[in-house]
Amino acid sequence: MQARLRAMQARLNGTPHLRRLGRLFSETVLLKVDEAEYYLVFDRGALAAIQCGPSRKTPWRFALSTDAAALEAFWQARPEPGFHDIFGLVKIGRGRVDGDILALVKNLRFFKEFMALGREVEEVPA
Amino acid sequence: MSGTIEAITGRYLNLDLGGRAHRVYFEEAGQGRPVLCLHTAGADTRQWRHLLNDAETTGSNRLIAFDMPWHGKSLPPEGFETEEYLLTTEAYIETVLAMVEALGLERPVLAGCSMGGRIALQLAALHPERFTGFIAIEASDFQPAWYDIDWFHRPDAHGGEMGAALVSANISPHAPAAERWNTQWMFMQSGPGVFRGDLSFYTRDDSLIGRLGAIDTARTPVHLMVGAYDLTCTPEDARRTAAAIPGATLAVMDELGHFPMSEHPTGFRPYFLEALARMPDTARRAA
Repeated sequence: MQARLRAMQARLNGTPHLRRLGRLFSETVLLKVDEAEYYLVFDRGALAAIQCGPSRKTPWRFALSTDAAALEAFWQARPEPGFHDIFGLVKIGRGRVDGDILALVKNLRFFKEFMALGREVEEVPA
Repeated sequence: MSGTIEAITGRYLNLDLGGRAHRVYFEEAGQGRPVLCLHTAGADTRQWRHLLNDAETTGSNRLIAFDMPWHGKSLPPEGFETEEYLLTTEAYIETVLAMVEALGLERPVLAGCSMGGRIALQLAALHPERFTGFIAIEASDFQPAWYDIDWFHRPDAHGGEMGAALVSANISPHAPAAERWNTQWMFMQSGPGVFRGDLSFYTRDDSLIGRLGAIDTARTPVHLMVGAYDLTCTPEDARRTAAAIPGATLAVMDELGHFPMSEHPTGFRPYFLEALARMPDTARRAA
């Protein structure tokens, strides 16, 4: 998962339109996959750091919780219905959004396109 | 230099709605049986442009689509600047019936998507004599909101961009990228508070539920269509709704979402032609 996230980080940094969309987005997002926690520290549209948790000391603005199988299905090039969007995961009971949902919605295109970057990268061994 | 002019023509109709003057934009193409097409919440007639440009469809059907007041090129009524736009079932029904009358449409087929499908089912229950049949796309008895509609009208954010990003959840990954983004562009362009006002109707008025059983499909057929990737009106929602209408038929479209005619025109076309084939052709019968 960390390797995938690092690949997404590199891809984000090489995607000018996403950097532009996220230019006002400097927040920490908690991505929870099963029991594993990843704190994604965004700084003006760049993913500045990926910190592995769990950490009770790291504040986050909003969190997306899901499971590894659902995330893998989400990252297919043409996902099955329900797995095609983060709100789809929520709708089918395989995902949950917590925290400041309005902060997510205000930056929804940016965050959804960031999450979808995982569809375009092959996971490489850590 | 050469260009291509499409077969679609657009005009403006001035009429009274709710006792107030309105200027409503409509466009049409084709000849034959009239088919009145209703767009979804937060969008406009452009969602139907692919079918209006489809020669096989318009060869025997006169497709007409109009922008609801406040939408697309239809202006809001005078004094809108101090009003809160909130669509109601009553106002929506009045608008559709007024358009049918003003355009002189003789018992058209009514085809509506999402909130347009919802109102098509309301009209099937309340005013069936004005129509030949009903095609209800991504339509259900009632949908509670899985979002806060107030997200889409606030001073510190762009409601159109947020709305577009949210509704992208309802677009199939099979949709071609160009049409996915054209579909979202309409939401991005939507006037402030309009998507919210449409959603108020769509997510708060459940009056259709008790009316479904009264729809007489022997007199006016009802065909529902739903995309498998639609998170807002899911196939389960459409099945429940179809089951409550005696004689209604349903098509589940495996690779489509909530805006099928707009997001994936070639994928939707055969389903729409099949739906039209299920509708009585009064024009042909009279000929």
